[in-house]
Amino acid sequence: MTFRLAFKNILGNGWRSLINVAILAIVLTGMVWMQGIYDGWGRLARVQMQEWEFGQGHYVQADYDKYDSFTWDKSHAAIPPQAQRLIQAGKAVPVLYSAGVLYPQGRMTPVLIKGIPAGQTVLKIPSAELKETEATAGFLPAVIGGQMAKSARLKEGDIVTMRWKDVHGVYNAADLMIAKVMRTPVPTIDAGQVWIDFDRLNRAKALSSFATLLVLKDKPEQTNLGPGWNYVGTEEAMAGTDAMINAKRAGGYVLFTLLLFLSMIAIFDTQILAIFKRRKEIGTLIALGLTKRQIIRLFTLEGILYMLMGTVCTAVAGFPLFLYFALKGYPIPQQMTGYNIAGMSETIRCYYSPRMLLTTFLIVLAVTAFASWLPTSRIARLKATDALLGKV
Amino acid sequence: MSDLQIETKKLTKHYPTGEGQLTALKEVDLTFREGEFAGIVGPSGSGKTTLLNIIGSLDTQSEGEVLVLGKEISKLTAKESAELRSKHIGFIFQTYNLLPVYTVYENVELPLLLLKISPEKRRKAVLDALEWLGITDKLKARPNQLSGGQGQRVSIARAMVKRPQIVLADEPTANLDTENSLRILETMCKINAELGTTFIFSTHDDKVVKFLRRVITLRDGKVAKDDIQAGL
Repeated sequence: MTFRLAFKNILGNGWRSLINVAILAIVLTGMVWMQGIYDGWGRLARVQMQEWEFGQGHYVQADYDKYDSFTWDKSHAAIPPQAQRLIQAGKAVPVLYSAGVLYPQGRMTPVLIKGIPAGQTVLKIPSAELKETEATAGFLPAVIGGQMAKSARLKEGDIVTMRWKDVHGVYNAADLMIAKVMRTPVPTIDAGQVWIDFDRLNRAKALSSFATLLVLKDKPEQTNLGPGWNYVGTEEAMAGTDAMINAKRAGGYVLFTLLLFLSMIAIFDTQILAIFKRRKEIGTLIALGLTKRQIIRLFTLEGILYMLMGTVCTAVAGFPLFLYFALKGYPIPQQMTGYNIAGMSETIRCYYSPRMLLTTFLIVLAVTAFASWLPTSRIARLKATDALLGKV
Repeated sequence: MSDLQIETKKLTKHYPTGEGQLTALKEVDLTFREGEFAGIVGPSGSGKTTLLNIIGSLDTQSEGEVLVLGKEISKLTAKESAELRSKHIGFIFQTYNLLPVYTVYENVELPLLLLKISPEKRRKAVLDALEWLGITDKLKARPNQLSGGQGQRVSIARAMVKRPQIVLADEPTANLDTENSLRILETMCKINAELGTTFIFSTHDDKVVKFLRRVITLRDGKVAKDDIQAGL
């Protein structure tokens, strides 16, 4: 009965109801769209980082610290036998790191040299370009990313001198030929990095089959590779990116919290007006046998119904928009690739998870219920005899 | 006319004011039996509406006792009080108090919805009530599409549809012209005679007084006169 009465009252409220429903629908659409963008970005970043950098997990040599460049020259170890078997089966790829210096156009640029087997297929890095060909004969073929190419002013076919230090502390140098400028969506394998063949780097460092990183194609059944190697799972590897996305999401929430607040003011205002305008009706309902609690429930339900109607409008009117952004996506402006976050260099397709939809719905429902209930609590203090006379 | 329905014993009602308190009713002793057609008359501020509100459990007394259908009003919980009103008491107001967003049918149906009557029984009861009041042609009209007389008849239909034992009518003809007032009063007389419903009016309209079988005169919150068979 309360539902029927509430529904009737909403219809009877005419334009005011329509405005409330429209505001709620706009807020809901915005919230779902924004969350869809962030979730889509998160998913894209995860996929890209797995495809280009982390695989399905990796082992890292215990001395390696990505934030300490002084560790880069000594954080390597012989590849353990069980890892060798994985590499031979094509289920893992070793990567060796070394600090180095590049001299493009007579300038000096510190770089991180990464050695990766030319024939690997675990990561999307175009390592096949590292094979020596006629074109690169006499030079060390290298692959760099688009950002690195831009900052070092290098292009495919350019020859540049690179210097490094081997494990005995002896400096060596060689001329590289840029075999490929790769377009990667993962900035962390691009900026300040030069990719060369794994064996060539091993030889250059006076090493043999040493690696800093072992990237896995599949999730390992057991994560212990022995002493000197630490396992890093995808969740751990993604933690920084996830934190960055969540920080951006929180920033977006501020805008929609404001919008939600405005829509709640609209509902709050409607409820206040309703109590003022409908005080005789409240008195009549009490005279007809409703308790004040039932009347508070009726008014609160009216507010909640606005929200439910707003949800239906969002689902119906917002569906084409949601579908468009799920299929066509949201193109990221070129300038944003400088953010150095994976997923920021392509079109982001919105992803609407059932969990996200349910959470958004429940948050708006709870806030609407509160905004509807708060002013109606005045009814509890209202005397039936005053209400019948039109007093509040 | 033997069953006691309402009894007030030394009923007193004070209202707080800025300077102290205003006594609206002073030690009012009254009884109403089943099927009475009684009116409370008196000048403005004599306590008529206050007395009706207390009998209707919309308000409580400050002192004394008020028994309605055997229940002490001041001791009822909010739920019990609402139940008493929804099941046993019908209200008719001076300004009709129809709910503006509902149709005539829905307004009359509302008390039955509160009593959780089945849809079929509800429909029959609503149509019967509207037929009694001669407004079946206004089923789908909204209150703002009705004349004053029609509005008050809908209000009576709403009060009567649940067949209450007591109907409390607060100045029911105050906003009506003579012709409509007489028609309304005749209808209420008919209901009283045929269904045995107790009617208690608050009024200072002479047209109403002529129809009453008992007239209680209040003056300054006290019963000044209680005349049986004063009207018709």
